[in-house]
Amino acid sequence: MTAAAQSVYIGGIRPRSIAGIWFRHALVLRHTWLTSMSWYFLEPFVALVAVGIGIGRLVDDVDGIAYALFLTPGVIAGSAMFHAIFECAWGAFFRIQKGVFETTLTAPVSTRELALGEISWAVTRAIITAACVGAVAAAIGWIESIYGVGILLAAALIGVQFGAMGLIFAALAPNIHVLSLTFTVVASPLYFFSGAFYPISVLPNWVEPIAWAAPLTPAVHLARGFATGNLEMSHLLSVIYMICLSAVLIPIAATLLRRRLVK
Amino acid sequence: MNGHHEFPVIRASHLTKRFGNIPAVDDISFEVRRGETYGLLGPNGAGKTTTMRMVSGLSPLSSGSLTVANIDVVRQGRKVRDILGVVTQQDGLDTDLSPRNNLIVYGYMTGLSRAEAKRRADAVLMYFDLTDRANDEIDNLSGGMKRRLAIARAFMTQPQVIVLDEPTTGLDPQGRNHVWQELETMKQAGVTILMSTHYMEEASALCDRLAIMHNGKILAEGAPDELVNRHAGDEVALLRVPSTAREAVVKRIDGSGLDYREAGAVIMVTSANGERPDLTGLDGVRVSYRPANLEDVFLTVAGRGLADE
Repeated sequence: MTAAAQSVYIGGIRPRSIAGIWFRHALVLRHTWLTSMSWYFLEPFVALVAVGIGIGRLVDDVDGIAYALFLTPGVIAGSAMFHAIFECAWGAFFRIQKGVFETTLTAPVSTRELALGEISWAVTRAIITAACVGAVAAAIGWIESIYGVGILLAAALIGVQFGAMGLIFAALAPNIHVLSLTFTVVASPLYFFSGAFYPISVLPNWVEPIAWAAPLTPAVHLARGFATGNLEMSHLLSVIYMICLSAVLIPIAATLLRRRLVK
Repeated sequence: MNGHHEFPVIRASHLTKRFGNIPAVDDISFEVRRGETYGLLGPNGAGKTTTMRMVSGLSPLSSGSLTVANIDVVRQGRKVRDILGVVTQQDGLDTDLSPRNNLIVYGYMTGLSRAEAKRRADAVLMYFDLTDRANDEIDNLSGGMKRRLAIARAFMTQPQVIVLDEPTTGLDPQGRNHVWQELETMKQAGVTILMSTHYMEEASALCDRLAIMHNGKILAEGAPDELVNRHAGDEVALLRVPSTAREAVVKRIDGSGLDYREAGAVIMVTSANGERPDLTGLDGVRVSYRPANLEDVFLTVAGRGLADE
């Protein structure tokens, strides 16, 4: 019974469960890293450069900075969101369907740890894509501030929040068709109304508060604060908002996952 | 693990599971002794899988009590999974990982170090004759290989007790035979096995004792031979009856109190005490006898069970 010796618990949570799930994902990435890079780096970077140069020619400064510089943190935050939600909605849904999660639970893993493990990888994915795109953006001068490193923190918060959200959709979706609404009805609108492409202030007055409450908006705001180095109180509020939202979403995700898997 | 060999490893008492108001497992009790292979035999929907899931700590009980190696499953479901090897009905293999990595990841999750998990994975692959497919794609494996890999996974932790839900359902005869051999080897090694199956042949080939389940209840329990003897006798009379005589024959057997069932053109008559059907005066009936088997037991007790309701 070698396994029992390793069952260490911290506050009812078994860290090895979370590490195990993270390890699973890391192994998959190690085997697919070359093709994965097209998602982590190539796709978001091409979008950034195309829109940044194209629209950048048409518009003058936005909020006092060149358009490409305005856009960069927005695209990075958007990519982080798509990675987190893709892993935890799409990926997790298939792991439910194929019985992979059921297998995971036959090891001494709880549904809560399963949720946390999946979210830990969503965070990792969000950070990887932000780091890849961010590094090259910085190299071509589209991120100027040294505080730009802080975008990784924004990406991590995005990973938690949208990882938990993705798991909620995966646990609720009865089939793949309903699950696809996650992208068409949730992720894409959030992206386009997040302030990634233009300042929220240009939206009609009544839309503005809604746009601010949408979960990606504070993330874009925070990432932009780091990218430009102009950090103020509103950025701290963004962090607090994202942490609070995550604190609500994670237990919901764990509960729904339990309802789906433990009958 | 203590040394009381006679002490039951699994002890289920008045085990009940309801989904809404529908009982999937309806007040069953059984014990599995150390080193024994115990089978739950029954058709789909009998409650086998639900029972296995409760024993594995994967499904909360509605009522009753359940201990595995003295661990209370109700209160310490997770601790039970520390000592059990569980093979679920779905293979649950991760198609994004190679067979070897499926084992390593699982081993790591159970608490082995990565180095230990790798060592153990290689040993288990060898034991289950899967070494040359270790780095293949899961989707390239045959059904039998996938099943063996799923069983191999449960052996990453060297469990003393293993719970196997339908080990060979969907496998071709060759694959089934291979799995049977693996299970036989485990038995020889002293592993306690709780398995479910709807194959009568499998139950009699592997199980020391078994419980016949139907509609969430255990209808009969015992060693395979003993069950056959008790409920179906030594032999089954096969009556080939012309359609014109059918009604009269059925009426006669019904009146004699013997258990019978109609299967196509044949009427099968079982008798626990060796009594043979009296067919004097009935023309055109051809009679032959074959040894009784578990299928006869199942159909006999299930038939009675239904009649009681």
